[in-house]
Amino acid sequence: MNLGITATQYLEQIKNGSLTVEEFISKTMERINKVEPSIHAYISLNNDAISQAKQIDKKLKAKENVGSCLGMPISIKDNICTKGMKTTCASKMLENFVAPYDATVISNLKSQDAIIIGKTNLDEFAMGISTEFSYFGPSRNPWNTDYVPGGSSGGSAVSVSALECIASLGSDTGGSVRNPASFCSVVGLKPTYGLVSRYGLISYANSIEQVGPMARTVEDTAFILNIISGIDQHDNTTIDKGKVDYTKELDVGVEGKRIGIISEMIGEGVDKQVAAATSKAISKLQTLGAECNEVSLDSVKFSVATYYTIAATEAGSNLARYDNIRYGFDFDVEGYEFNAYISKARKNFGPEVTRRMILGSFVPSAGYVGKYFLKALKVRSKIKSEIEQAFKKFDLLIAPTSPVLPFKIGEKVDDPLSLYLLDINTIVANLSGIPAISIPYEMTNGLPIGIQFFANSMQEKTLLQAAYALEKTTNLPGVPI
Amino acid sequence: MTKIGLEIHCQLTKLESKLFCSCKADYRSLDINTNICPVCIGLPGSLPLLNKNAVEKAAMISIALGCKTPPKIAFFRKNYFYPDLPKNFQITQYNAYGPTSIGSDGKVLIEDKEIRVRRIQLEEDPGRLVYEGTSEKTLLTLIDYNRAGTPLVEIVTEPDFETPKQVRLFLNVLADLVENLGVSDPSLEGALRVDGNISIDKGNRVEIKNVGSFKDIEKALHFEITRQQSLAERGIPIPAETRHWDEARKITVSARSKEEEQDYRYFLEADIPWVLIDSSVIDKLKKNMPESIYSKKERYIKKYGIPLQVAEVLSSDKFYSDLFEQAHNEKNAKEIANIITTDLKGFADTKEQREQLKLTPKHLADLADAIMNNIITRNSGKLALQEIVKSGKPLSEIISSLDLGHVDDKSSLSKIIDDVFSEEEKAVSEAKLNPDTINYLVGKVMRKTKGKADPALTLDIIKKKLDSK
Amino acid sequence: MVKREEIVHAANLIKIDLKDHEKYIEQVEKILNYFDILDNASAESESFVTQEMSLDKLRDDKYVPFDEKLITQLKNYKGTFVKAPKMI
Ligand SMILES: [Zn+2]
Repeated sequence: MNLGITATQYLEQIKNGSLTVEEFISKTMERINKVEPSIHAYISLNNDAISQAKQIDKKLKAKENVGSCLGMPISIKDNICTKGMKTTCASKMLENFVAPYDATVISNLKSQDAIIIGKTNLDEFAMGISTEFSYFGPSRNPWNTDYVPGGSSGGSAVSVSALECIASLGSDTGGSVRNPASFCSVVGLKPTYGLVSRYGLISYANSIEQVGPMARTVEDTAFILNIISGIDQHDNTTIDKGKVDYTKELDVGVEGKRIGIISEMIGEGVDKQVAAATSKAISKLQTLGAECNEVSLDSVKFSVATYYTIAATEAGSNLARYDNIRYGFDFDVEGYEFNAYISKARKNFGPEVTRRMILGSFVPSAGYVGKYFLKALKVRSKIKSEIEQAFKKFDLLIAPTSPVLPFKIGEKVDDPLSLYLLDINTIVANLSGIPAISIPYEMTNGLPIGIQFFANSMQEKTLLQAAYALEKTTNLPGVPI
Repeated sequence: MTKIGLEIHCQLTKLESKLFCSCKADYRSLDINTNICPVCIGLPGSLPLLNKNAVEKAAMISIALGCKTPPKIAFFRKNYFYPDLPKNFQITQYNAYGPTSIGSDGKVLIEDKEIRVRRIQLEEDPGRLVYEGTSEKTLLTLIDYNRAGTPLVEIVTEPDFETPKQVRLFLNVLADLVENLGVSDPSLEGALRVDGNISIDKGNRVEIKNVGSFKDIEKALHFEITRQQSLAERGIPIPAETRHWDEARKITVSARSKEEEQDYRYFLEADIPWVLIDSSVIDKLKKNMPESIYSKKERYIKKYGIPLQVAEVLSSDKFYSDLFEQAHNEKNAKEIANIITTDLKGFADTKEQREQLKLTPKHLADLADAIMNNIITRNSGKLALQEIVKSGKPLSEIISSLDLGHVDDKSSLSKIIDDVFSEEEKAVSEAKLNPDTINYLVGKVMRKTKGKADPALTLDIIKKKLDSK
Repeated sequence: MVKREEIVHAANLIKIDLKDHEKYIEQVEKILNYFDILDNASAESESFVTQEMSLDKLRDDKYVPFDEKLITQLKNYKGTFVKAPKMI
C-alpha cells in the first residue's frame, strides 16, 4: 500500500472501495511506529484511531452520510486544543494539560470525519524556527536527520513529509507553517488573518497568528482550507469568507498575472542555491505567461525588529497565565509565597520562551514603550501600507520562503539573534495580515528549497492558483526515509 | 484645600451573562467554582467574546453622567500577577491612543458643585479570594472564580470633591442613577465599590483602597484628612502612597511600597476588535433609556402638583417610582404619591421587605380611589395597606373583612356621638367653653368607630350638638 | 543604552527568575541593541493596525452554562476552591 498518496487520491480509493479506512489508518500507525524513533514528529498519538476508522468504514458500508474527509488521517500541532487528548505546547508548563474542548478547526475536521491521528512536535509555545526548543526534544528532518525540520510547526511538516499522515494543521505566527514546509518539502499555507478561527489555538502572538494547513500538494492544502476557514462565533476576529471553494479553478494558470519579486528577500544574506532556485522559479513563471518584476518593500529591513517586539510583548501577556496554579506540572503550592512560587514554577520554561518573556516585558515597559513597542506598532502599519501599495501593481509577490537551506541540529541553538534574522522572508505576511504559501521547489544536495507566494488579503484563491501552476513544473523525489 | 477624587466600580448586575463568556453574571449564592468556563478561568486557547448588552449598559451610564462616547471603543490588557486574575492580566479600557473607553469628560452637579467625570471604562471583575490562616499569617490563598469576568464599569472622577459629605451625596446620587437606569442593583453586596484619592493643601496624593462600603469611604476620608493635617501641622511631609482601609480598626494603613512600583504595560487586546459605536447606536440608547431621576421629579411636580419633597423621594427610588408609574392616573396621582412616601415607606424600607411585598399597582390605585371617594378614611387606608402588603388580598375584600367601611351615615354617627357625650360629660362642658378641646371628643368618636368615621362630618355634628346644648 | 538592572526589573515584572541565568541578560541586551534599528524607520506619522466590528455583531447577553464540571479538571484544589500560594 502506498502511504504517499494525496488527499484526493485517498478519497477516490476509499470511495471506489479499493481501500478501507481501517487499512490505511493501521498502515499509517505501523509507519509511525517505525519511523518515529529517527524523526520524532509526534508528541502523542490517538489510541482510538483504529476504532474510529472502523466506525467510518461501517458507516460507509451502510451507505450512511460520511463527512468529506472519509477518515483521512490528519496530524495536529500540539498547540491546538483537542478535547480529551493532551495539548502540551511542547512545554513542561502544560505537560499534563487536557483541554475540555475542541478548537474550532478541530470541530470542523471532526465533523467532516477526519481522524486526528496525533499531536505533533513544535518549538515550545511555537517560539522558534527549528523545533529544537521542544521540551520533548527536537524533531528531525526526514530528508537528512542531522538537520532541523524548520519550525515552529516542525512536527507537522515532518509528519506530512515522512508519510505519517495525509495532511496536518500547523500555526504560523512569523512563518511557523511556511518555514518547516520549505525545510521538509511540503506545502504550507498561512491564511489571511481572520480567515481561520483561532479559538482553541493556544495564543503566542494573537494579533498576527493563524492556523494553517500543511499537505503534500497544493490541491490537498486547498481541500483542508475549505474545511477549516470561515467565520466562527467563538472568535470575534474571524471574517466572513463568502461562498468560495478553494479547490475549484486551481488550474487556471498564471498567464497575464503580475508577479512582484521582493528585492529585499533575494539579495544580501540569501544562500546562493536558494537564490538560484528562486531565479529558476521566476523564469518558469515567465514561461507560463506571468509578468515578473522586482518590487522594493523598504520597511522589510525593519520587519524582524518589529515582529519580535510585537510578538514578544503579546507573548509576555499571553503566557502570563502559566503560573502552575490551575494547570501545569506537579508542584505543591503549600509553604510558598505567591511570587516566589510562580517565579520558581516559571523557571521551567525553556530558553527561547524565557528570552521572549524578558523581552516581552521589557519592550512595553514604562521607560521603553515609546522607543520599542509603540514604534514597532507604527512600523507594522508602514509595512502594511507598503504591501497595500505593492498590490496595486501586482497580483502576487514572490520570494524564497527561507533565505537559507535547512541547517544542522544544534548549529544555531545558542545564537538567538541569528535565528531571528532567518524569519525575514516570512514575517511580513503576519505583520500585514496577508496570506502566503510555501511550496516545495527544488532539492539541493538532498535538502529541500521552498518558494513562497504572497497575495492580497482574502485572495487565497489567487495564491493557490499560482502555487498550483508552479507546482506542476516541479518533479521532486520521494522522501528517503 | 482638600481635593478628593474617586474611582467607583459598579457591577452591571442586571446582565444575564459575564462580560466575555456566557457564564451567569449573577454569581451570588452559587456553589464555589460552579459558574466557570474555559474563557473566565483563562484556559489556554480560549478567547473573549464581548457581551453586546454590557457595552450598551456601560454606554447608558456614560450618557447619564454627561460623558462623551467615542465613535469606536477599544479594550486593553492591564498586565500584573495576582491570584484572583486567571489570565494574570485584566481586560479593561484605557485611553492610550486617544479616547477609546466607553465614556470620558462628563459632569455631575452636587449641591451646585460641579464634579467632573474623567473616564468611564468597561472591564472584568476578578475572582474572589479567601485567605486561609490567621490575618497575620496566611497559609494559603483559596480562589473562587465564580465572580471572575463579571461585567464592571469603572467611573473615575477628577479630584473635584472638597469634603467627605460631597462624596457621600455624589455616591447616593450615583447609586440611585444606576438603579434607575436598570443597569445595577446597588443593594447587592459588592455591586458598588469605591476607592478614593485625597490630598490636602499642597500635600502629596494618597490613594485609599480596599474600602468595603459607601459608608466606610466617608469614614476613611475623614480619617485621612485628620491624619494628613496632623502630619502637616508637625511639618512632616505627606508621602505619596497607597493606603488600605482597615475596616476593623477604622483606620488607613500604608500598603507595601511594592505596589507603587507596578508597571502594567497596557497594550491593545487584539482578540477583541474595536467596536463601532456610531451616533445611531447612541441615539437609540438615548431614546430607550429610562427617564432620568431629575426629569421624573420635575414631571411629578409640574404635571401632578406633587410637593417637592414627596417628588424627590418618589423619583430617586426606582422601586417607588416604578410602583407609582404603574398605579397612577391623572386624578389619583397625588394621593398615590402620598400613600407611597408616607404610609408604604414603613413596610418597604429594606430589600427583603420589598421582595416579600404582596402589593400590586392595582392595590394602590384602588386604595387611592377609595380614599378619594370617601369609601374609607385615610386612617382606614393605613390599616388596609398593612393587610394588603401581607396578604395581597383585593382591597374590597379587606374592607369588608376588617369592617373598614366609612361611617358616613348621619343618624348612626349621631347616635355614637350621643353615647360619647354621655360618657364624657366633663369634656363636653369644657368643649363648650373652649372650642380648642373639641378634638378630644372627635378622637373618642374615632376610637369608637375604629377610625371609620368621616372626620369632617363628625366635627360638624359635634359642633351642632354642642351649640344646641 | 539599556541597563542590566532594567532588564532584571522587566524579568521580575513577568516573574522570570534570573538567578543563575546571567546569559539571558546578555542575550536580551544584544537583541535590544539590534532593535535600535527601529529608530531609523521614520514611521512617526503612522497609525496602528486594528480590526473593527459593529456593535450588533457582538455576543447576545444570554446565560449558557458550560457543559462540564470544570473544577474537577483543574489541579491544586481544596474542597471546591482552587488552591494558590499564600500572599504575605
Ligand atoms: Zn465563563
